[in-house]
Amino acid sequence: MDNSLLISLSQQLSAYQSMDVIANNIANVSTPGYRREEPTFQEYVAHVRPSETQKGMQALSFVQQTGTVRNMAQGSLQSTSAPFDLAISGKGYFVVQTPAGDRYTRNGHFTLDSGGQIVTEDGNPVQGDGGAITISNDDGDIHIGADGVISGRNGQIGKLRVAGFNGELAMKKEGASLYSTSETPTTPTDFKISQGALESSNVQPVVEISHMIDVMRAYQATATMTQSQQDLLRQAIDKLGGQPGS
Amino acid sequence: MRALNIAATGMFAQQTNVEVIANNLANMNTTAYKQQRAEFQDLLYQNVEQPGAQTSDSGTLLPSGIQLGAGVRTAAVYRINSQGTLNNTGNPYDLAINGAGYFRITMPDGTDAYTRAGNFALSPEGQIVTDKGYVVAPGIAVPQNATAITVNAQGQVQATIPGQTAPQQVGQFEITRFPNEGGLNAVGDNLYTETPSSGSPQSGVPGSIGYGTIQQGFLEGANVNAVEEMTSLITAQRAYEMNSKVITAADEMLQMTSRLAGS
Repeated sequence: MDNSLLISLSQQLSAYQSMDVIANNIANVSTPGYRREEPTFQEYVAHVRPSETQKGMQALSFVQQTGTVRNMAQGSLQSTSAPFDLAISGKGYFVVQTPAGDRYTRNGHFTLDSGGQIVTEDGNPVQGDGGAITISNDDGDIHIGADGVISGRNGQIGKLRVAGFNGELAMKKEGASLYSTSETPTTPTDFKISQGALESSNVQPVVEISHMIDVMRAYQATATMTQSQQDLLRQAIDKLGGQPGS
Repeated sequence: MRALNIAATGMFAQQTNVEVIANNLANMNTTAYKQQRAEFQDLLYQNVEQPGAQTSDSGTLLPSGIQLGAGVRTAAVYRINSQGTLNNTGNPYDLAINGAGYFRITMPDGTDAYTRAGNFALSPEGQIVTDKGYVVAPGIAVPQNATAITVNAQGQVQATIPGQTAPQQVGQFEITRFPNEGGLNAVGDNLYTETPSSGSPQSGVPGSIGYGTIQQGFLEGANVNAVEEMTSLITAQRAYEMNSKVITAADEMLQMTSRLAGS
């Protein structure tokens, strides 16, 4: 096949991938703690032999996806007034114990289970400094301080564990707002926990919609180019391959 | 094309969101109604390139990888059990709980249900019952000749009977608490039932540690904030619209592709 068609194809495939990432961002516009993602692309240079009128090896640039990069900007805090809805301002993640090991999350929507343990909506216990935290009925109204100290009527109950990481972008998404990593967590100091609030997704609809239009137009342009390339081919075949005199 | 399915999960989630908001708005004047919120989580990721994968012999690592998300899912619709405002009604059988806990109601089939809506009345037998006629546990009977009834903050029910100088104590209300009241199952008619995730009920005297007090002549209003709901409704509607735009855009791209093949 013609090189220009293959180059167009590489652009069109990357447009589809961009579209998938944008769709995922927009679908998660209401997911607490969600971080918007952006695909990154790079040039892939292939060297081909020159055609008749050209001299020297020709460099062709294809498009190649290299990764999806998370935007780690802080999302705005949205008040919910539920006592176990927590938001972290600044760096750090809540630690959740799952059957597969410790997982980290910025989605601070927690609840209590039948035993009074603080758990996620999936029932996995949220970790404090000394393991899971259990709230008793006699603790009355629960207050959670900016440093994660949980206290009730009878004084301090526990302290939420907040984990920090140097390689935040290398953390793997597990779905259900959880991340995993092989890195040993550090203890961050520059964070503040707000009770009765959730961190909104940092997806900005305007940005996503304008990216979407961008991707579509680029796709359209390439499609038009492919079309004219095909027309060119057809004309060449008609002209050159036509019966003389017909 | 993945974008179509992803946008569909987004539309579905926002639809749930609008339904929850509509239910909150519809119950703005329901006694002791608790506001609900839809909670979302991102869906599974497909690892096209694993983050942290080694990219060379010298040990360089892939900084971010390619993980393609599959959209969003509704993880839960949860109740916000904050106290509603107490509205004065002046009716002696209207009781509001100020603080934590529920009234226990004995259902006709003998099981227990729990409610914070204290719009009670007297049955023909003189028992204190709900507006459906179900007995409020532990079952309090008011003498037929009582001229007035007082319920104090600790739930003691006292009746004034003609000819007696001191009011006569006729019963004692109890309040029930749960380790996780968010886990209660709403069965309609302002009633909740126990579930494995709510934990077992613990009954106590109103006003004791960890239990609320009773206010006679008041009803607890819904804790729905109309302004908050309206803004959430607008946000949800716009988010729905944006997801539909993604579907349109993805569809247009597919159309362009098929036009190529058709020519």
